[in-house]
Amino acid sequence: MGSVALKDIRKSYGAVEVLHGIDLDIADGEFTVLVGPSGCGKSTLLRSIAGLETISGGDIILDDTKINTLQPKERDIAMVFQNYALYPHMTVAKNMGFSLRLSKVDKDEIDRKVRAAAEILDLTPLLDRYPRQLSGGQRQRVAMGRAIVRDPKVFLFDEPLSNLDAKLRVQMRSEIKELHQRLKTTTIYVTHDQIEAMTMADKIVVMRGGHVEQIGSPLELYENPASVFVAGFIGSPSMNFVRASAGADGIEYADGHWLGRPAAAIAPGRAVIAGFRPEDMRLADTGLPARVALVEPTGAETQLVLRTGQDSLVMTTRERVTQKPGDLVHVVVSEGKLHCFDADTERSLAPGAAPA
Amino acid sequence: MRHDRLLAYAMILPVVAAVLAFVVGPTYNVATLSLTKVVMGMERGFGTFDNFRALTADPVFWLVMKNTAIWILGGTVLCVTVGLAVGTFLALDSRLTGWLRALILLPWVIPDVVTAMAWKWMLHGQVGIIGQTLQDTGLTDRPISFLGDPQLVMWTLVVVLIWRKMPLVALILCAAIRSVPDDQLEAARMDGANAWERFRFVTIPNIAFSLTAVTVISMIWITAEFALPWIMTGGGPANASQIMATYIYQQSFEFFNWGVASAMSVINLLMLVSIVALYLYINRRSWASEGSQ
Ligand SMILES: Nc1ncnc2c1ncn2[C@@H]1O[C@H](COP(=O)(O)OP(=O)(O)O)[C@@H](O)[C@H]1O
Ligand SMILES: [Mg+2]
Repeated sequence: MGSVALKDIRKSYGAVEVLHGIDLDIADGEFTVLVGPSGCGKSTLLRSIAGLETISGGDIILDDTKINTLQPKERDIAMVFQNYALYPHMTVAKNMGFSLRLSKVDKDEIDRKVRAAAEILDLTPLLDRYPRQLSGGQRQRVAMGRAIVRDPKVFLFDEPLSNLDAKLRVQMRSEIKELHQRLKTTTIYVTHDQIEAMTMADKIVVMRGGHVEQIGSPLELYENPASVFVAGFIGSPSMNFVRASAGADGIEYADGHWLGRPAAAIAPGRAVIAGFRPEDMRLADTGLPARVALVEPTGAETQLVLRTGQDSLVMTTRERVTQKPGDLVHVVVSEGKLHCFDADTERSLAPGAAPA
Repeated sequence: MRHDRLLAYAMILPVVAAVLAFVVGPTYNVATLSLTKVVMGMERGFGTFDNFRALTADPVFWLVMKNTAIWILGGTVLCVTVGLAVGTFLALDSRLTGWLRALILLPWVIPDVVTAMAWKWMLHGQVGIIGQTLQDTGLTDRPISFLGDPQLVMWTLVVVLIWRKMPLVALILCAAIRSVPDDQLEAARMDGANAWERFRFVTIPNIAFSLTAVTVISMIWITAEFALPWIMTGGGPANASQIMATYIYQQSFEFFNWGVASAMSVINLLMLVSIVALYLYINRRSWASEGSQ
C-alpha cells in the first residue's frame, strides 16, 4: 500500500513562502507527475514528502499515518535524484545495497535483493563497476536500482532525465513507465517537461508559483485546461491566445470576425481570452483572414506561422500546403475546440471548470 | 623539429640547473659526508659505515628515535584527527563558524619564535599562567613543570605543535567537507544513514584525497619543524625531548660532529622519502583516479 494525501502543505524559507497550501490526493499505485516551470516549488514539495525539508504547515499522510515529523528513513519512501547522487567510492552493487547494509540485513539477503533488482534493470553485468565507469543512462538505472532494492511504499523522482540526451531520455521514459507497470509502486515524478508529463502520468499536477493550478489526467488537462497557464503549458506547439469578446452568436476576434461558439453561454459584450490549439485550426475559404509569415514542413506535418492584426498564430496541418510566405489565407477553428478564459482572472469559462 | 626540441631543452635548463644546485647537490653532499670518516673537521677516508655505527651505538640515538616517533607519528595523528574534528565543526553553517574560520588561522601568522617563547612562558613551572591556573582552580596542589618533567615534556611539545599546525589542516578539511555533494548526503539520509553513518560512509570517502594529502603534508611539516622544540627545550631535560631535527643541529653546530649529523640526516631523508612514497602509492589506488581499475 502507498496512498499519499497532502493537506494544505505550506513551506517557507525565512520570511518567503514558496508553497502556499498544496492539497493533493494520490491513490495507491498511481503515477503522478508534478509539472510546472522552473522555480514553482516542485522540488520543494517532493523534498517535503521525502522528509528532506520540514514543512511549515499542513499534513503529509501516508496510508492513514501522519508522517510530517518523521525522519526520511522512517517514512518508507525512496528518492531518485536529478544528478543520480551515487556514492562514487562504492561499486554498483554496494550503492544499491547500502540502505540494506545500514539496516543490518544479512549479506546473503542483500546480495539476493541487489541481484533481483539488477536483473529487472539490466544491470547484472555492471554490478562490480564504479559509477565513474558508467554512462549517464546506466547511472540513472543504478539510482533507480537503489530505490527499488528497498521496496518502499512510494518512489519519488526529481527531474531524473534532465541530464540525458534527447534520445536516451525517450528510452528511459519508457523504461521508467514499464518499471512502474511491473512494480505498481506509487510514484511521484517531478519534471518541467510537459511531454514527459503527458506521456508518463496517470495524473498530472500542474503547479505555478507555489500553487496547484490544475489536477487531472493528461487528456483532461489537454482538452479542458482550467486556465490560460495550463492551456499554454500543456501541448506542443502551445495553444494560440487572442483577445476577443462575446457576440450575439459566439466569440468574435478584435476585428469582428467570428471565431467559434464557446462551450457555455457568455454574456454578449464580455471581454475574453480565446484559445485554440494549432492542430484545431483549418484553412478555409472564409473565416479569419491572416497572412502567412513562415512555412515549416516537419515531414508528416507542416507548421504555419500566421499574422493577423497584432497577433501571431501557429497552426499545424497534415495536409499539403501550397501557400507561400506573404499569401493571404482564411482560418477557422474546428467546431467545439474553442476555449474561452476570463480576460482578468485567466480562468476557464467552460462549465465545470474549477473556480479560481 | 630538431630546432624546437633544442629550444625546449634550453627553456627548462635554468630550472634543471637550480634543482641540481640547490636540491640534488646538498643532498649528495650530505649523503657522501655520512659515509666519510671525519676527524676534527677533516675528511679522513670515504666508504665507511663508521658514522652509522657510532650513531646507533650511542643510547641517545634510541631515545631520539623514540622521541621522534612521538613527535612525528603522535603529532601527525593528533594534528589530523583534531583537525578533522575542528574542520567538521567549522563546516557547519552558522555565523559563529564563519568568524571562527577566519580567526583560527591566527596561530599560523605568528612567527615560530614568538609562538615558542610565548608557550615557554605560559608553561613555565613557577610563573607560567597555565600552571598557575591549574593551581588556583585546585586541580593540582603542586606546580607542574611541563617542560622540565621528562615524562611530560615530549607530549607538551606535541600539544604546542598541534596548536600551531592544526588550524590549516582544519581549514583544508573544512573546505573539503563543504564540497561533498549535498545530494549524496541526502541520498544517504533517504537510505537511512544517521549523522555518524553519513560522516563515515559518505563524507570520509569523499574527502579521502584531502585527508591523505594533509596527513602527508603534516608529517613533512612536523618532521621539518625545528624552531619550536629547539627554542622551547633545546632537547632537554637530559635529551628527554631530543628529536632528530634538534639532534642533527646540536651534533653539527654545537659539537661539530658532522659525520654523525649527516648519518642522522640520511636516516631522516629516507624516512621522508618513504612517507611520500606511501602517499603516492595510496593515491594510485584511489577510486577517483580516472581509468585505473
Ligand atoms: N534552500 C532554499 N532557501 C531559500 N529559497 C529556496 C531554497 N530552495 C528553494 N528555494 C526557492 O523556492 C522556490 C521553489 O524552488 P524549487 O522547489 O527548487 O523549484 P522547482 O523545483 O519547481 O524548480 C524557488 O523560488 C527557490 O528560489
Ligand atoms: Mg527542481
